[in-house]
Amino acid sequence: MNGIDLVGPQFAVLIAAGMALLVDALLPRQRRFIPLVALAGLALSVAWTISWVSRDDYQSAFGGTLALDKYAVFFYFVFAGIAAAVVLASIDWVKREGRGEAEYYALLLVSTAGYMFLAASRDLITIFIALELSSIPQYILAGWGKDERSSEAGLKYLLLGAIASAVLLYGMALLYGFTRTTDLGGIADAIVAGGSENRALLTLAVALVIAGFGFKMAVVPFQMWVPDVYQGAPTPVAAYLSVGSKGAAFAVVTRLFFEGLGPDVASDDWSMIFAVVAAVSMTFGNVMAIVQTDIKRLLGYSSIAQAGNIMVGLAAVSVAGEEFVLGASGVIFFVAAYAFTNLGAFIAVIAISQRIGSDRIGDYAGMWKRSPVLAGALALCLVSLTGIPPTAGFWAKLYVFNSAIRADLAWLVIVGVLNSLVSAYYYLGVARTMFVAESGEEATFRPPLGLSISLGLATAGVLILGLVPGPLLDAAHDAAETLALVS
Amino acid sequence: MPFLEAAATQSPTIDEWLLWAILVSPLTAWALIVLYFRKIPAVAGYLAIAGIGISCLISFVTLFNVIDADGAIAQHTHEWFTAGDVVVNLGVRVDGLTAVMLVVVTSVSLLVQIYSTGYMAGDSGYGRYFAHMCLFTTAMLGLVLADNLFMLFIFWELVGLSSYLLIGFWFHKPSAAAAAKKAFIVTRIGDLGLLAALLLIWSRAETFDIAGIHHWAASGEASDKIVTLFALGIFAGAAGKSAQFPLHVWLPDAMEGPTPVSALIHAATMVAAGVYLVARFFPVFEVSTDAREVVAWIGAATALIAATIALVQTDLKRVLAYSTVSQLGYMMLALGALGYVAAIFHLFTHAFFKALLFLGSGSVNHGTNTFDMRKMGGLRAKMPVTFWTFVIGSLSLAGIFPLAGFWSKDEILLDAWRYDRALWFMAATVAFMTAFYMFRAIFLTFFGEYKGGEPVDHHDPDNHFHGDPAHPHESPWPMRAPLLILAVPAVLAGLLNVDHDFGDFINHALPELPHHEGSTFEWGIALSSLGLALGGIGLAWAIYYKRWVSSASLRELFLPLAGLFEHKYFLDNVYEDIFVRGIFHRGWNRLLELTDRYVIDGVANGSGRLVRGVSSGLRPIQNGLLQTYGLGFAAGVIIFVLAVFAANPL
Repeated sequence: MNGIDLVGPQFAVLIAAGMALLVDALLPRQRRFIPLVALAGLALSVAWTISWVSRDDYQSAFGGTLALDKYAVFFYFVFAGIAAAVVLASIDWVKREGRGEAEYYALLLVSTAGYMFLAASRDLITIFIALELSSIPQYILAGWGKDERSSEAGLKYLLLGAIASAVLLYGMALLYGFTRTTDLGGIADAIVAGGSENRALLTLAVALVIAGFGFKMAVVPFQMWVPDVYQGAPTPVAAYLSVGSKGAAFAVVTRLFFEGLGPDVASDDWSMIFAVVAAVSMTFGNVMAIVQTDIKRLLGYSSIAQAGNIMVGLAAVSVAGEEFVLGASGVIFFVAAYAFTNLGAFIAVIAISQRIGSDRIGDYAGMWKRSPVLAGALALCLVSLTGIPPTAGFWAKLYVFNSAIRADLAWLVIVGVLNSLVSAYYYLGVARTMFVAESGEEATFRPPLGLSISLGLATAGVLILGLVPGPLLDAAHDAAETLALVS
Repeated sequence: MPFLEAAATQSPTIDEWLLWAILVSPLTAWALIVLYFRKIPAVAGYLAIAGIGISCLISFVTLFNVIDADGAIAQHTHEWFTAGDVVVNLGVRVDGLTAVMLVVVTSVSLLVQIYSTGYMAGDSGYGRYFAHMCLFTTAMLGLVLADNLFMLFIFWELVGLSSYLLIGFWFHKPSAAAAAKKAFIVTRIGDLGLLAALLLIWSRAETFDIAGIHHWAASGEASDKIVTLFALGIFAGAAGKSAQFPLHVWLPDAMEGPTPVSALIHAATMVAAGVYLVARFFPVFEVSTDAREVVAWIGAATALIAATIALVQTDLKRVLAYSTVSQLGYMMLALGALGYVAAIFHLFTHAFFKALLFLGSGSVNHGTNTFDMRKMGGLRAKMPVTFWTFVIGSLSLAGIFPLAGFWSKDEILLDAWRYDRALWFMAATVAFMTAFYMFRAIFLTFFGEYKGGEPVDHHDPDNHFHGDPAHPHESPWPMRAPLLILAVPAVLAGLLNVDHDFGDFINHALPELPHHEGSTFEWGIALSSLGLALGGIGLAWAIYYKRWVSSASLRELFLPLAGLFEHKYFLDNVYEDIFVRGIFHRGWNRLLELTDRYVIDGVANGSGRLVRGVSSGLRPIQNGLLQTYGLGFAAGVIIFVLAVFAANPL
């Protein structure tokens, strides 16, 4: 591949973003087709990626700043899928909001292109630019709603995101100062060559980089923005943040540890730090979620806990040896499974809140009678988040826990499994409210078309991954192996 | 695979598709009911009966086929998917143990479905009920047929989920919803152990195949510690499902579900799943003495504790519930004492007579609208079929010669005697108490004067009680027939092992024949257990029929003990009041709520205060909210960096 082909998938998405704005400006009567333009761009992007896969054409591009490998391709698919689901889930909300339709979708697509760049970046500068490309549209989107809460969420997210970026940039600068290169491979070589000189500085640099991405992952202690922003931001945007930015951050950090630091640096001690962060995040997220009465806040805390679950895989990554691959494939499989599951949950919440105008869990009483489809789909996603078979979430948890066992982190698995038990309490609590509690309101309803399609896709994904996890597990394993080969 | 070679030479020849059909048939019924017939009660009931009936038929075919092969193993495995270096299979395995379980599950399930068409008639959730029943039966059959631990685990969880739905069937009753949740959470605590065992075997043996795990444990390639840990994980799962102390607390509450559900789940199938699981991995327990000791003593303690609680219950169904817990303890005791055959044999006979007793209690409830024995009495003449079948079930449970329970209980006592006299002493005490509390229940329910039952509350929309509790009458035929049918195995099933046919049959499911002597009949044990049982019945007769001694004065005499039993050893209080309500709800949750409201949400208050500030001129920068937020993040970074340096990587 060459030329435009190297950035084809991102290019298709960005073109669609531009087209959306053009349609709005030139054909204002045809505004209702804007979501279709966005979807077409994403479809083209997926098709482009598939053509790479079918050509078996993987390489690095632009002087090694982008690695177009199986690992990147895996995430291209994940991010395009997430964006498509969010576009479908946004249609009704954006229409009702009645302003800036084209801008909304354009921002969403630009941010998605940023994610794709992030997954492929193997250079500090590219990583940073891709991160900002994906983040800035998110700050705007979080404040898209007309109410104060949304504006506040946007502002909070922006200011804290800026601090996080500063921390990240400081870490990167130190890393550059230490190694004199921004290329991940070069960094790895320089670290090996540098020996034990200035190790403290290197430690600080890596810690700050992780802290910067920890914000996007929403792990403790960088999690404080999560419940407020999820609650305040428009629900489709919260859905996008919960799976997109988390997934991208894990994609980058996993690659960073594989390619930039190498097994020597990614030592058992880092493993211990990731393990502790994972354990604390799981416990904090789950324990705080128990007392929530607002479904979006509950999902916010749950997403902190799930970030902890994903990080269990990262803790196993840091251990040298065969577990390297197992942990990384656990991380990326979890990200994909979590994308389906959490999107499904959020989409159901969008559909329900559009109808009942409330996000209070108490108002979900009797939802089973009012909309069996939505109640059933949400319950399925909650079961998957809990990690009960036969759902995607079960395999995801099992797989990362297994990688941790192999990395001799049995204590972490015990913490994780106990946390699953705690999470069952509140996830199933929501399900119980929908199925068991009685409500005065009896009128039945169905979700609108866009939401129905995206919800159908997400829940189908949850179930299919639950029943036939093999192909995706294999793909995750292959993707992780390409990283191992590079390092 | 050489280790698959059992003592028998030829494998069962049954076709693979027939084995899968056992599983698919009730699943199809479930799908059809859910999709099309939820609102059409008549069809739903018959579909369930048809689906489970077909499984039952094939199960009997399988049984005879396996009998022809002397209980040898047949396994059909397909690769499901590969996860890393481990292959996960989808397969079925039949052997003597599986065949016995298949027949028990499907035949009891079938009879319960038939009974339910009468018992549940008129319930608004009739279709939903049969759908859940089919799903549960499917899950249970999958658990029994699975040829690897992975598949077994998935069906194990599915059993838990579908029993949650069934216990909470009358979910608008708060007590039922609470009981369902309690059952789910408590059994899941045990499931954690099973999951741990699964992960352990994944990392150590790299196979999930049951025969492979047997081989792994016996080959000595893993250290004793690892094998013991694995065995204890398995037992933890089993203890949750089979209601072993201290996880037994969910089972009595689960009686809030419809009575046929209790008969199916809490007598014959789900609670037996734990015993089955331990038996399935019996070769592992044979290797680990420590794990076996735990199983034996937990089993004995469970048997004794539950029996003492059953002595003082006033609710007929709760007597049966605690009796079930106690008998499950018996089975675990037997497994721990190397009595594999005795345990499975008791599981087999118990399934029939306990299902009979539960259905009998349901029949009594159908006539009197209550389970409270203090409101019954004198039903002997009014419900003769229920009475006589109930007596047969009780005699069998009490272990009276020559009924089924006598033979199986005798073997357990014999194994306990050989293994450890202290275990035998506990088991013998339980045998005495079992006879006593069952006949206490019979005398209170069926003898004396009728005390009027529970008046029908016509304002309760869920109550669809037909007839008049003041004039109880015998139940309709769909309910009577299963009682009569179940009475047959409750009497005769014990004869199957008189010549060790049953034992030889299921022994072939093990990779090699047990190293220890199988149980044989011993007059001393048999006569002493019979004597204890008769003594228990006699005592109940003296107190509750002849009333030579008043039960109130007896209670006075044993007051501290009676109080302890009546409060179920205060375990529920410890769990509920102190742990759940006290610490969790009042203290902990309150603390979290406050933290969320004032610390996290309040830092830059989520109610929009911040932005109101923005609109009136960048005030938030001055009023400190944002600084606090930024400070929080900076603090996070500093803590993290310090932690990193503390761990000192690089």
